Amino acid sequence: MKTTLLCALLLLALPLRARPDQSQTDQSQPDQSWSLGQSTLTYHMSHPIHEVDGVSHAARGKGVCHAGQCDFLVAAPVKSFDSGDSNRDLHMLQTTRGAEFPVVTVRFRLPQSTLNQPTLDCDLEIQFAGTTAHYPHVAFHQTIEGPAHHITGVIPSTLTDFKIAAPTFLTVPIKNEIPVRVDMTWSPS
Amino acid sequence: MAKLLRARIPAVRIVLAGAGVLVLLSLPAPLAGQSAASVSNVAEADLLSLPEAPIPVQSSTSESSSPEASSAGDQTPTPQTPTSNPSQAAQPQPAPPSLGDLGLSPSQTKPDPDLQARLDRHTRMLRIHQRLGLITLAPLAGACITSAFAPPDLKKGKDNATGRDIHLGLGAASVTMYAFTASYAIRAPRVSDQPARGGIKLHKYLIWVHGPGMILTPILGAMAYDQANNGEKVHGIASAHAAVAWTTVAAYGAAIVAVSWPIHVASWKL
Repeated sequence: MKTTLLCALLLLALPLRARPDQSQTDQSQPDQSWSLGQSTLTYHMSHPIHEVDGVSHAARGKGVCHAGQCDFLVAAPVKSFDSGDSNRDLHMLQTTRGAEFPVVTVRFRLPQSTLNQPTLDCDLEIQFAGTTAHYPHVAFHQTIEGPAHHITGVIPSTLTDFKIAAPTFLTVPIKNEIPVRVDMTWSPS
Repeated sequence: MAKLLRARIPAVRIVLAGAGVLVLLSLPAPLAGQSAASVSNVAEADLLSLPEAPIPVQSSTSESSSPEASSAGDQTPTPQTPTSNPSQAAQPQPAPPSLGDLGLSPSQTKPDPDLQARLDRHTRMLRIHQRLGLITLAPLAGACITSAFAPPDLKKGKDNATGRDIHLGLGAASVTMYAFTASYAIRAPRVSDQPARGGIKLHKYLIWVHGPGMILTPILGAMAYDQANNGEKVHGIASAHAAVAWTTVAAYGAAIVAVSWPIHVASWKL
């Protein structure tokens, strides 16, 4: 009986001994890099007689993790956004000064330990139309399937954030809010 | 004496077992909640009492921190050997990703001020085109309405000369405004060689209907005007004036709607 009790105590003591090794793993994350696979960025424009979505599948992205911090960069050519109307796309390119500033870039930093969480809280720095805007605490939802991290969310961007004069149609300006829907798949590279 | 010892053996066993458990629990104490610095101190303290090991050519830490070492499948955390080597601490950190790392072509990232200038001019001219096109609707509508009073009423013996003149004036204004409107679209600089997509495509196709219509309508109108002024019933090709004019107006209206398509008004969608 006492021998059994002793064995039980020893078995209970073993996990306590193993725990420090796990905490050591959490503290020191390995360097890692990520690459953006498939992506869909969709801006939505509202006008009293128009609702328009412009879609780009041409975004490129990369992430680098070091010392527990990961820096990410996503970039998409402005002219890659397709609203289904070439005239409107040219007008968008002109309004956003897309020939002078041909790429929209998004930068954010995340702790490496949070990369597998179902919700990612990102502080975004977006360069667009020659202006940099910051969007703190933008939530992205994440689902992980094997190595693929599928991320979705909405960036609550506005025209005034980037000092863009609202284009008009039939002399009526479009709405200031231009939310950008993000749907992308990242994987470790 | 022997009886006394036999009676105390179980108690001694329990004490020894408890001491064993305490030893097991106390062994990991220096490792629990360790930081990098404390690990290195412990490692050094342990190494002091050990004989020197052969020095490796390249440490495992430097291998694991190099960017090349983190390959695609390298998702399992590799344990990092605690070290106090200053040369390893001075290793360069991997730089945050830049545009050059993304593989975008120079044509995609290079600013093009000339294109921006052409886009600005293109947009400016098309904005004027749009405004003039909408303004043109006014004389066009007026010409359509006054067309009812243009032909002479032969049954009642009315000449309707005034109504015809008003119709003529509004028609001429419509054609002039139309010409100005079209000129801004024609003279706008080309900024893309891509084929037109969307509503603008139909807008451009309809030019082939209302463009000739805007040339034919005043010609036929002039012929009809002369015949009416001579007291004749409009006849011959001049009798097609009304049909050509209405076709032209319909195509013109459709061109405006096409460039605005699809139309959403509040909760309903066309």
